[in-house]
Amino acid sequence: MTNTKTIQTNDGEIIYYIDEIIGSGGMKDVYFSTDRTKAIAFFRDPLDKTALERLEMITGAYRKGIFESEHKRYWEQLFCWPQSIVFDGKRHGVVLPIYSRHFFFEYGSVNNDFLEIKGREKEGKWFAAPTNRLTRLDERERGDWRVYLRLCLMIARATRRLHAAGLAHSDLSYKNVLISPSTGHACMIDIDGLVVPGKYPPDVVGTPDFIAPEVIATAHLDKKHPDRNLPNRNTDRHALAVLIYQYLLLRHPLRGKKIHDIHDSVNDETLSMGKEALFIEHPTNKSNRTDPKTARKSDQFWLDTNKLPYSITGPYLSKLFEQAFIEALHNPTKRPTADEWENALIKTIDLIQPCSNPKCVGKWYAFDNTQKPICPFCQTPYKGKLPIINLYTDRSGTGKFLPDNHRLMIYKDQSIFPWHIDRSIIPNERLKIEESSRVGYCIFYNDKWLFVNEKLDTLYDHTDTKNIKKIEKGNSVILEDGVKIIVKNSNAMRLWLIQTAHGE
Amino acid sequence: MNRHLPVYLLIDSSGSMHGEPINAVNEGLRALLHGLKQDPYALETVLLSLITFDREIKEIFPLTSIEQVQLDEIIPPSSGATHLGEALEYLINRYYRDIQSKKDVMQNTFAPMLFVMTDGKPSDLLLFTEMSKKIKTLKFGAIVACAAGPKAKTEFLEQFADHVVSIESTDSSAFSAFFRWVSASIATGNQSGGLEVAGASHLPPPPAEVNIVV
Repeated sequence: MTNTKTIQTNDGEIIYYIDEIIGSGGMKDVYFSTDRTKAIAFFRDPLDKTALERLEMITGAYRKGIFESEHKRYWEQLFCWPQSIVFDGKRHGVVLPIYSRHFFFEYGSVNNDFLEIKGREKEGKWFAAPTNRLTRLDERERGDWRVYLRLCLMIARATRRLHAAGLAHSDLSYKNVLISPSTGHACMIDIDGLVVPGKYPPDVVGTPDFIAPEVIATAHLDKKHPDRNLPNRNTDRHALAVLIYQYLLLRHPLRGKKIHDIHDSVNDETLSMGKEALFIEHPTNKSNRTDPKTARKSDQFWLDTNKLPYSITGPYLSKLFEQAFIEALHNPTKRPTADEWENALIKTIDLIQPCSNPKCVGKWYAFDNTQKPICPFCQTPYKGKLPIINLYTDRSGTGKFLPDNHRLMIYKDQSIFPWHIDRSIIPNERLKIEESSRVGYCIFYNDKWLFVNEKLDTLYDHTDTKNIKKIEKGNSVILEDGVKIIVKNSNAMRLWLIQTAHGE
Repeated sequence: MNRHLPVYLLIDSSGSMHGEPINAVNEGLRALLHGLKQDPYALETVLLSLITFDREIKEIFPLTSIEQVQLDEIIPPSSGATHLGEALEYLINRYYRDIQSKKDVMQNTFAPMLFVMTDGKPSDLLLFTEMSKKIKTLKFGAIVACAAGPKAKTEFLEQFADHVVSIESTDSSAFSAFFRWVSASIATGNQSGGLEVAGASHLPPPPAEVNIVV
């Protein structure tokens, strides 16, 4: 028989909770409220004044800044944010929303859930290693490559929002972000350790695999030592890059074959993740390449950087991976920001194509800018014509269209959204409801690709400038090489320049 | 590349463990394995080996990935000595053998962890003292020894272990608390580290039923 206890939060709410630990983290023990709508996480160790003040800020001003806005509902999905503080006479704790149901395994593992994980939390590590994701988890839990782009986008966005508020997460890892590939949800958890730069210092160094090299390299110094590097926004940026790389390529960007200390594995780990950290796909220093031969069979394909180089993630993400792991690995201020990751992910989502092989593990892949696209996951070539819309905008109103460095691959039933016709619209939390529904779609009909206009009043076929044709709502236009389509929107004109790749 | 974490369990199966204590240990081991199977980090990382010792030393299974471990009941002899010294010697040899024979896997591992559980004291004192010294020269990440029950002598365990815990009884709740702690200790590799210099001997706080000696 378990006991029910009562506690009052710092904002006056009375919460009834069941006096039984339902989970324990590094520093906290977690309990459920009796109605199971909330959780209370008590800190095992006493909090000092600064820590308590920080919690007050996180549950107070910072929470209000993010959630008392018109985008409240959006952020509620992406963050499990502490709502208030409690004190039971001995321990301080925070009140948290419970995790949504999609963050618990519905089917669990293969072979009738042989690992007995059905109903357990979808910790990110399940999806970040090839054997875990592709041989242990039930197929219905795994998700396809497209959904991982979306999940990474949400994680980047949540990180961007924290950074915009002046906060740093300080412990971003696959343990602290729940993801649900089967439903396309992601949620940042363990927010109570947030760092307010200059004001509330971090109390953790982070989770192995995600700690930035400069933090590891100086971890032996006292925390007050001037050369000691502690988690901050730049280290979050490193963790974010690792997380994205890991989810999209199922390997760690710094874990190659190079051994720095053959006699002492602790020291080897410190060097290879710290001072001597080296990207496994570094273009000139090849000493830390992976060695797939020595890995388990189920890991080999993903560890093979020749077969599956980071460039398969497309040009936008590739550029950021290079920046994060080559240029800025040991130069923290040069790391790509969460905002840059977000933009690159949005553009990459427009670059993907479904793979025609129903057994493909990726099911989707990014267009490789070649005339004959091939799926990098199963080597199935693209068959038929592949139209690509290149986006340009007339920013000055003088008829001079500049490239937006954004292109859109066309596939069957693909929707065209307002952000494809207006450069100033970005698909993020600020998107208005009327901007979130499609304005048209693409179909393949009678051996031709067509764009069907559903909502655009000002769509023109400019292919022949002497014969500009308006495309009325309900009508369509053929998408083939050289076609130019102009959409007039309230701000500027957007030009679609059509190119076609020819698969097999 | 994936770094493995070798974990050796050295379990007392001497005559005095007969009955409830060994049942509790068997139960605890099953629960430990069950928990590790549900942990995506342990599945990818941990290699587990189980060795029992009474008057004989038995390797129940060598370093094996969690998924492949087949757990059989440990059945102790009805009476007999506790050859802890010999067990440590056996373990040291196993450790060298493992490093040699599985070079590709073992070369790049995390420092191994060793958990020793006994309800008595070593009967082979001379060898025990020698091996206690030797094992300290090896680069183990953590050596945790558990003295179970009233007859267990912590002073011997202190000779080789970084952490000695004692559990007062040898019933199932005490053992299950201990094995839960083992499981949590194995998982620390995947958890947020504190700001203080995180040595290898950083373990989670033991459960209430376990008394820390060292």
